[in-house]
Amino acid sequence: FRGCSGGSTPSTALPWLLTAAHLKFSPVLTQDPPLEGLTTASTFVLDQPHCIFQDYGNADIWLVVALSQATSTFNNSAGPGTPETAFQSFPDPVRAYMTLNTTLGNYPCPKPDGDITVLRVGSETSCARDVTRPTCNGPLPGPGPYRVKFLALEGSVPVAETAWSVPIMLRTAKSPSSISTTGSGHNAGMIAITTILSILFAILLAGLVAMLVFWGSDFCGGSSTFSKPESVTVRRYNTHHVYDQPAARL
Amino acid sequence: MAKSDDCVHILQGLLVFGNVVIGMCGIALTAECIYFVSNPHGLYPLLKETENGDINAAAWIGIFVGLALFALSILGIIGVIKASRTLLLVYIILMLITFAFEMASCITAATHQDSLTPELFLKQMLERYQKSEPASNSDNDITKTWDELMLQNHCCGVLGPSDWQEYTSAFRLTHSDADYPWPRMCCVLDAKGLPVNLDGCKLGVPGYYNSNGCYNAISGRVNTHSWGVAWFGFAILCWTFCVLLGTMFYWSGIEY
Repeated sequence: FRGCSGGSTPSTALPWLLTAAHLKFSPVLTQDPPLEGLTTASTFVLDQPHCIFQDYGNADIWLVVALSQATSTFNNSAGPGTPETAFQSFPDPVRAYMTLNTTLGNYPCPKPDGDITVLRVGSETSCARDVTRPTCNGPLPGPGPYRVKFLALEGSVPVAETAWSVPIMLRTAKSPSSISTTGSGHNAGMIAITTILSILFAILLAGLVAMLVFWGSDFCGGSSTFSKPESVTVRRYNTHHVYDQPAARL
Repeated sequence: MAKSDDCVHILQGLLVFGNVVIGMCGIALTAECIYFVSNPHGLYPLLKETENGDINAAAWIGIFVGLALFALSILGIIGVIKASRTLLLVYIILMLITFAFEMASCITAATHQDSLTPELFLKQMLERYQKSEPASNSDNDITKTWDELMLQNHCCGVLGPSDWQEYTSAFRLTHSDADYPWPRMCCVLDAKGLPVNLDGCKLGVPGYYNSNGCYNAISGRVNTHSWGVAWFGFAILCWTFCVLLGTMFYWSGIEY
């Protein structure tokens, strides 16, 4: 295979094409529009590289997804679709795979207004275990971190590459048994209801006890104040001359 | 003397009025509790499984307490007008028993409302929604209830779609994260029940998925229930307290 660094192997390619052009662009996670599923447990979403590879109209543009610590060992000449870059062997022993190839036509420049143009890495679940599809865009096997870059290949010659992205961490899911459902304590309303009602009930019970204990005794002081409507017993000495002195009647 | 006659009549009038109000409130309480027991909000399967047991216990007690209040208020009116010590004593004792039951119902409803935290529903949803081997009918009920809840309220999860990402779940065991970051019911659906834009929903593009959590919808309805039973019952009991005190005072003044 052709050497990665300017080689001693004789080749027909011109020497300055052996190393791919290094573009200053670096892939980023999509910031606009804000996506709820920007990173999930096994996928993430990148902006499409519009207006980056304009000088390489004949190239196929591939996405390289690598483990964070494998970026320095990745060889641009590694061919896509080979066992060294097959998705199905990722992350072990393959430390970086290549997927999502397309031509420049799919990344038009300028970016069309109004369209949401993103690349969802990890969306193809049907070929995740299909070794006949080594360039499958399958779901990522772990939370990462991962770093990605775009690589333009003409035939099998790398002609341009972007910089590696910052490390991308995916989400890790916790177990639901870690959710604590113990109450946050009793709120004020419940305490108020309980207290007030208990007090009221206690007062009523006290009143009932007082009633029963003093049954029959005139504890309200003196003669009863209420008479039954139909009773004719004259307990109150109603006289016509209410202004008479009481002593005069005796 | 005329003055004390007036006092008597005023007190009698007040007690009769108080009992009329109690009677009407009793009917209202019964009607309200029957309404809640008949589960109009469709959330009963979720609430049934909470640790505090049957939320309907408070409502059932409320039904019978309401009827008892109505019956006792009639007894009270008759007792006050006839100024009969026996009737009024019976009335007071039975009212106290009813008071105690209603007190229990109010406190149960208030405590239960307390325990319905988002964490409770979250745990229940994660462990049982779309469980692949449903252990019992209640798992199916919970799935159906959640599906309807998310469909009708345009919401997803308890706090949001990220519930499905932050935690593993029974749903996650059978549905891969790449294909189903969250259940399909969280997508904006068209008239046929299919997602308007499946990719948009999976990505989480605003407009193609429901970004709100369902907790507000749940707690709104449950709080209405609790407010109805707990606080209305509390108000009735305060009023009953005053009427009972007045009746006790009236009773002690009746000659025998």
